[in-house]
Amino acid sequence: MRREKTTVMSALIAAALPVSAQNRFPKPDFESGYRYPDLHYEVPNEALWSAVDIILLAGMMLVVAWATLKRRRRAPVLIVSVVSALYFGFFRSGCVCSIGSVQNLVLAMVDSSYVMPLAVFLFFILPIVFTFLFGRVFCSGVCPLGALQEIVNIRNYRLSKAVSAVLGIIPWVYLAFALLYAATRSSFIICRFDPFIGIFRMGGDVGMIVFGGLLLLAAVFTGRPFCRFLCPYGALLSLFSRVSLRNMSITKECINCDLCLNACPVDAIRPPFENRVKESRMDGVRRLLAYFVMLPVAVAAGAFGMKALSPSLAGANKDVRLYEQVMRNEAHPQNIQPVDVEVFFAQGGTIEELSERRAEVGRQFDAYSAIAGGAIGLVVGLTLIGLSVKRTRKTYEIDGAACINCGRCFAYCPQNKLNTTT
Amino acid sequence: MNRKIARNVAIVSAVFIVTFAAMLITNYFQVRGFNPLQTEVIETLKQINDANADNAELQEQIRRLDLLARRAYFVRVDHLMAGVEILIGMLVVFVVASRIYFAKEKNLPGKEIDPVDDWIYKTRARKYVHWAAGFVAVAALVFAFLSSPYLSAEKGSGKEATEAAPQSESPAEDYAGMPPAADLPADSAAQLAAEAEAIPDSVAAQPEAPKVTHNSFRGNNAAAVSSAGNIPTQWNLSTGENIAWKSDIPRHGYNSPVVNGNNIFITGADEQARELYCYDLHSGQMRWKLAADNIPGSPSAMPETTHDTGLAASTVTTNGKQVAAIFATGDLICADMNGQRLWAKNLGVPTNHYGYASSLISFGNTLIVQYDNSNSPRLLALDMATGAERWSKSRTDKITWSSPIIAYIDRKPQLILMGNPNLTSYDPGSGAQNWAVPFLSGEVASSPCSAGGLVFGASEYASLIAVDALTGEKRWEANDYLPEVSSPAATADNVFVATSYGVLASYDAKSGELKTAHETNTEFYSSPMIVEGKLYIFSNSGKAFIYAANAELSPLNSFETGQRTFATPAFTDGRMIVRSDSQLYCVQKAES
Repeated sequence: MRREKTTVMSALIAAALPVSAQNRFPKPDFESGYRYPDLHYEVPNEALWSAVDIILLAGMMLVVAWATLKRRRRAPVLIVSVVSALYFGFFRSGCVCSIGSVQNLVLAMVDSSYVMPLAVFLFFILPIVFTFLFGRVFCSGVCPLGALQEIVNIRNYRLSKAVSAVLGIIPWVYLAFALLYAATRSSFIICRFDPFIGIFRMGGDVGMIVFGGLLLLAAVFTGRPFCRFLCPYGALLSLFSRVSLRNMSITKECINCDLCLNACPVDAIRPPFENRVKESRMDGVRRLLAYFVMLPVAVAAGAFGMKALSPSLAGANKDVRLYEQVMRNEAHPQNIQPVDVEVFFAQGGTIEELSERRAEVGRQFDAYSAIAGGAIGLVVGLTLIGLSVKRTRKTYEIDGAACINCGRCFAYCPQNKLNTTT
Repeated sequence: MNRKIARNVAIVSAVFIVTFAAMLITNYFQVRGFNPLQTEVIETLKQINDANADNAELQEQIRRLDLLARRAYFVRVDHLMAGVEILIGMLVVFVVASRIYFAKEKNLPGKEIDPVDDWIYKTRARKYVHWAAGFVAVAALVFAFLSSPYLSAEKGSGKEATEAAPQSESPAEDYAGMPPAADLPADSAAQLAAEAEAIPDSVAAQPEAPKVTHNSFRGNNAAAVSSAGNIPTQWNLSTGENIAWKSDIPRHGYNSPVVNGNNIFITGADEQARELYCYDLHSGQMRWKLAADNIPGSPSAMPETTHDTGLAASTVTTNGKQVAAIFATGDLICADMNGQRLWAKNLGVPTNHYGYASSLISFGNTLIVQYDNSNSPRLLALDMATGAERWSKSRTDKITWSSPIIAYIDRKPQLILMGNPNLTSYDPGSGAQNWAVPFLSGEVASSPCSAGGLVFGASEYASLIAVDALTGEKRWEANDYLPEVSSPAATADNVFVATSYGVLASYDAKSGELKTAHETNTEFYSSPMIVEGKLYIFSNSGKAFIYAANAELSPLNSFETGQRTFATPAFTDGRMIVRSDSQLYCVQKAES
């Protein structure tokens, strides 16, 4: 079985290697009268492919749900991972993806002129619906980014839970920034900093490809580093997964052998816990109360801090950048005029109009930065509250928010093997 | 055996991946900021080509360089992509080898890295969250402090002191300004360098232009500060000591010289003609002259002016691409650097009992005209290249002879004007008024200055005041010695004032306290300029005064030049250009 998996994975990546990079660069001007031939591209049947995408997305999530909740088998999950990486990753070039679709949704909410394509909306909403019904079946292997990490994973060297708890805040911060930049029409940073899209396309920003390569290297030895510590959509799904109608569970015939705990790549299995540290009850209550009191302070501090940084954050907006370039050029006209400034003036742009646009962007950043900062403060506060709650567990339990339905624990569970072989 | 081989392959490939990734990242950052479409050498040659459109050899040269630069860029990018493919290939090797090595190992319970008790890990995690939140808060504070307006203003004022050092003003300037050799593959870099060296002689033979410009009355942004260096403190027009050349000026004018690249611009006018002159910085020869004639709306009879103002009192301005001049007739002309007239218009003959005298100033590609007159005072912003109006503001102030300045406050430009009664700040981009402080009266001819976030305005018929340029709040006021025609100059510590009755005074810039006053027994219409920590000024009689630009105004030298001087000198690297009553001359250290 392992050899088969190795072969499939090698073929998968090797198949992508010959795909050459696409260099996009302005063509030179010729004064000799040479005219570039008109290029005609065949327009792909995008509607058909979108329909295939949606059907596959929903179909694969159903397969994973069936395999993990009904059959308690991992093999179908692995097959889905390979299919997803091949189809959504290498064939469809990693776009549309559910992770980035959250930005489209926010943009559609703030910009009435932007109509969110139906396919993108379905990519956003279907994983959420399935998560609410069956847990994070999308993350298991339907997401091409998760699938790639799943395929290369060999060992699960676990990180300290304390460190993981801190790193777990990062996806929320990333999500806050992604929504901020989308709402201000500045950038889709989730798409821009997708570490695996360059690998799927075998081209693009070299820095991000190298980063993606290093993440994959890490994924060989520890489970899903991107999913756990970076993925903003995963953070969103974890909310729905907490309250999903049907989720992964520990078998009733559990013999407390600890094998599943060790196999879980995302630390989603909680061992029995007997409260051995004898802290006085009042100390715990006081701490919890203090964090509850501090929660609004954390929200306010986050909002204030981000609002204070909003002028710097606004530098990512193209209008703000252009304004700064124009002003620099106005101050030092002898310097080489950047192409953007040249185009701006050539298209009849005026500084007054640009100045107004910049001011408007500044106002948006002020407002949305405060909201994003408040949200970050809220996440930090709630994390601290979560870490202050003490609860005794008598059996192994699955953390619904963290479990990604990968099914890896099934192969290790002696009781599960017993049930599936009989 | 196979397992051992797999282990070794995995180790080697892992080391390779990490090392190679580090190299790729380094290479990536090197190539990232390089834009082959805008290499300095090609842009420079394109500018030269714009000035000499018929030079086929040069055009061929540009094409070759452009091709080389593109090729160099794509070779570099292809190398990077090849590196990425190798990296991913090695990653596949590593994964396969690792899988073989670990094929028979399960994830069996190993050493427990977390404490058995959940509560201990949660306590530890809370501590880490506190640390991380504290670290982020401190980092945010540091970032906020580093980008605070206060710090920016400090940096800005430092920059203002040297801001007159804009780079690469002249098209003929710097053939060595190649794209960094490190950004090009070795062969291409060498070839590119060789190509640049092979630039046609007709082009390369032009003398190197100085980097420091003096684009308007009292220098760039009219700051009264120049970053020029190596300026002599002694010269003699009679013996020729430290005099590079002297040239006659065809027509009279009180305007001051302006320097950009190898060009010196002044104007002259009389009843017969109004003309813009361009002199060569190195030889003093007139390169071209352009008459302000055939302008629709231009008056057939010259407006009346007094002898100490004349028809050409306004100093020209340039942005390195165009040069604009205005005369007392209201005629405004603009030419390119080769004297080709680009556009001209008459703004309406200004009603002015002495004669129109406000100088022009350029703000990038915008030409600012302070058109204060008795009929319709207004402030105009025109496109330098086309003359099209970008914005205009009518002013309520009475007639003045003052000139505008651009002050960079908190890294943002402000257009500052003295009027009657207001000292006013505008946004040069839109013309929106930032603030106005009414304090002036009588006839206002002096211009403002700015340093350290303050704007200083002074007039003999009012007072000297300092205004916080961010808020428009008056900080202090002084009345000891006030200028009539000459404009003040300032550093972050001192404000220098030259009066019509011959007193040179320094005030503390922060408190307004009078620090020093030198009686020179002469008259000053010319304005002081601060260069290399020295203050240069000419009396009307032609006596040159050089002081240390400190609170004490320590005298360094003073001597008669023998030629009456009303204009403010212009400075560039190693040279001072002086317009006397009759001549234009260049002060430059004699080569020893």
